[in-house]
Amino acid sequence: MKKNQAAKYSLLKPNIKSLSPVSDLMPLPVYRLHEIRDLTPTSYIMRFDRNNMEFKAGQHITLGLPGNNQLREYSIYSTEHDPYLEVLIKEVEKGMVSKSLHKCRLGDFLSVDGPFGFFTLDENNLGKKNLFIGTGTGIAPFHSMAGSYPALDYSILHGVRTTDETYESSFYPTERYISCTSRDDKGKFKGRVTDYIRKNPVGSETIVYLCGNVEMIYEVYDILVSQHFPVDQIKTEVYF
Amino acid sequence: MVKKVAFKTLGCRLNQFETDALATDFYNAGYKIVPFTEKADAYIINTCTVTNTSDHKSKYTISQAIRRNAGSVVVVTGCMVNNQKELLEQRGDITYVVENNRKSSLFSLVDAHFKGEILHPSDLKQSLFDFTVAEKGFHTRSMIKIQDGCNNFCTYCIVPMVRGRASSRPVEDVLQNIRQVVSFGYKEVVLTGVNISRYEYQDTGFEDLIEKILELEGDFRVRISSIEPEGFGDKFIKLFAHPKMCPHLHLCLQSGSDRVLMQMRRQYNLHQYLNLIEGFRSNYPDFNFTTDIIVGFPGETDEDFNQTCKVVKEVGFSHVHTFKYSVRKGTRAERMPGHLPEKIKHERSQIIRDIAEENKLHYRQSLVGKQQTVLIEKVQKGFARGYGEHYVPVKISGEMPKNTFNTVTIKGLSDESDPQLIGQKTSKSAS
Repeated sequence: MKKNQAAKYSLLKPNIKSLSPVSDLMPLPVYRLHEIRDLTPTSYIMRFDRNNMEFKAGQHITLGLPGNNQLREYSIYSTEHDPYLEVLIKEVEKGMVSKSLHKCRLGDFLSVDGPFGFFTLDENNLGKKNLFIGTGTGIAPFHSMAGSYPALDYSILHGVRTTDETYESSFYPTERYISCTSRDDKGKFKGRVTDYIRKNPVGSETIVYLCGNVEMIYEVYDILVSQHFPVDQIKTEVYF
Repeated sequence: MVKKVAFKTLGCRLNQFETDALATDFYNAGYKIVPFTEKADAYIINTCTVTNTSDHKSKYTISQAIRRNAGSVVVVTGCMVNNQKELLEQRGDITYVVENNRKSSLFSLVDAHFKGEILHPSDLKQSLFDFTVAEKGFHTRSMIKIQDGCNNFCTYCIVPMVRGRASSRPVEDVLQNIRQVVSFGYKEVVLTGVNISRYEYQDTGFEDLIEKILELEGDFRVRISSIEPEGFGDKFIKLFAHPKMCPHLHLCLQSGSDRVLMQMRRQYNLHQYLNLIEGFRSNYPDFNFTTDIIVGFPGETDEDFNQTCKVVKEVGFSHVHTFKYSVRKGTRAERMPGHLPEKIKHERSQIIRDIAEENKLHYRQSLVGKQQTVLIEKVQKGFARGYGEHYVPVKISGEMPKNTFNTVTIKGLSDESDPQLIGQKTSKSAS
């Protein structure tokens, strides 16, 4: 979804109900692949059927190939209003699933389960300032949140090695997106996200969302604690 | 001739609840319930698969049943079925293999068998909550299933795969279940499920449900079984001021290290967990906390483990259910680096157990001189035994009717290997 389209939508609250339990080890429903959008040689976006799945921005699904028990978790990249589902995938070296998925052809079927997870916007705090901190593909849930809630007051700190990995950053208003690049100086900030928040302490009124690997989350958490930031205002989603 | 049926339950209280309900089905139909160690016409084994040890115990129990009475009907149900259905079916010595979501109809399968009709388990009705209210259970307390399944997907846990997605039982069903068991004479209900704090049925959340339960009439008390430290707030803490609420929670911690908690994909950090403890203890100083700890999670360092030990000591859990991490196929942790040798897991497990033993003694001693309301479960050799509201066993000299509340003053601890509180009656039975 493009920015101008996203702006048409108001803050819709999806009615998420308890999901039915898995019955009888039934095979997962299949979803047809519509598009693969290469962003770098090893990272891409897959778009496939939504099949009326209701989800909250920030939740994830499990995805794999039909007939194969190997499923992997991916945050939903598309918005709550898009008629399709998208995920952002980075090929894992020696990974079984991320490479196989990249080889899929349009029209192929995928196994999808979900949505899962609690890394969602706090409805009581939608009017507050939000700071999204993600590394690499950890930006995916924030893409969904920003697109689903266009009136949201947010900033994104995106930690990447080089600006090649800023994954469709034009989606976000320029003033809201800060790329932190550790291996080139073409980003808005030269250094890691942790360096950025050390130099730019986070205001105590902000709600902070962290998504990425454990070490980043752990380090940011410690920095925020050292800045006397209220830890109850930190939400985390670990990528493995 | 009356058919005999024997049951064995492995694992959690949810399984116990379900076994009680199944036993009631058989009892009501005229079957004789016999101990699992006796010869029976049918053996029902409600399995668990949460760890390797659970799998071993489940398999051992199945073999025991098969050996005990050749030709008997052996029915295997529970979580191991959902995890290893094909393997169990291929064994050839198990009569029926029934998945969790068809467990509630298991009676019709066995009853049909004895009447000469062979049903296939896949023909049984699917329902998570359609269990008979247990009138003749195996326990003094009546377990009440309020929820099933889990959407948390902790990286080590197979439960979402074997119990399915979170699903909450309708509010009125829960209330009606409690009304019935109270009318049968049960004096304590234990709310149970896989992840009960995530209870949500239409607009009713977990705290709202408890509020409605506390409004029910009758002489009973409410105990919460194992619970995750998430999905509730201050309102939950305040509910414990109600005289029907038992001041005890089995509040799962799993690790005292934030780094490990994140790797486990738990929904809280240590700070939040300790805040909860503080919230309870500041309101109810004697509140009893017990917990689960997993030792030897992939990548758990000595430092991580030491933090866990520190937290276990500081919180003073009066009981710790210690699990050595074991790989569950298909979970995220299976693919994590840093799997630890069994020797380290064993050592760490022993250290936690030792701390827990000290904690237990310390906690029980802290109740000396105080009053407990004991629900009598057993009267034997001149002593009545039962549990106080804090879920600590109490031994009282003298005869007291079973299934009655008795207020006692705690005079000391017994010299048994698992020291019981010694209670002295201070008032007449409350019921």
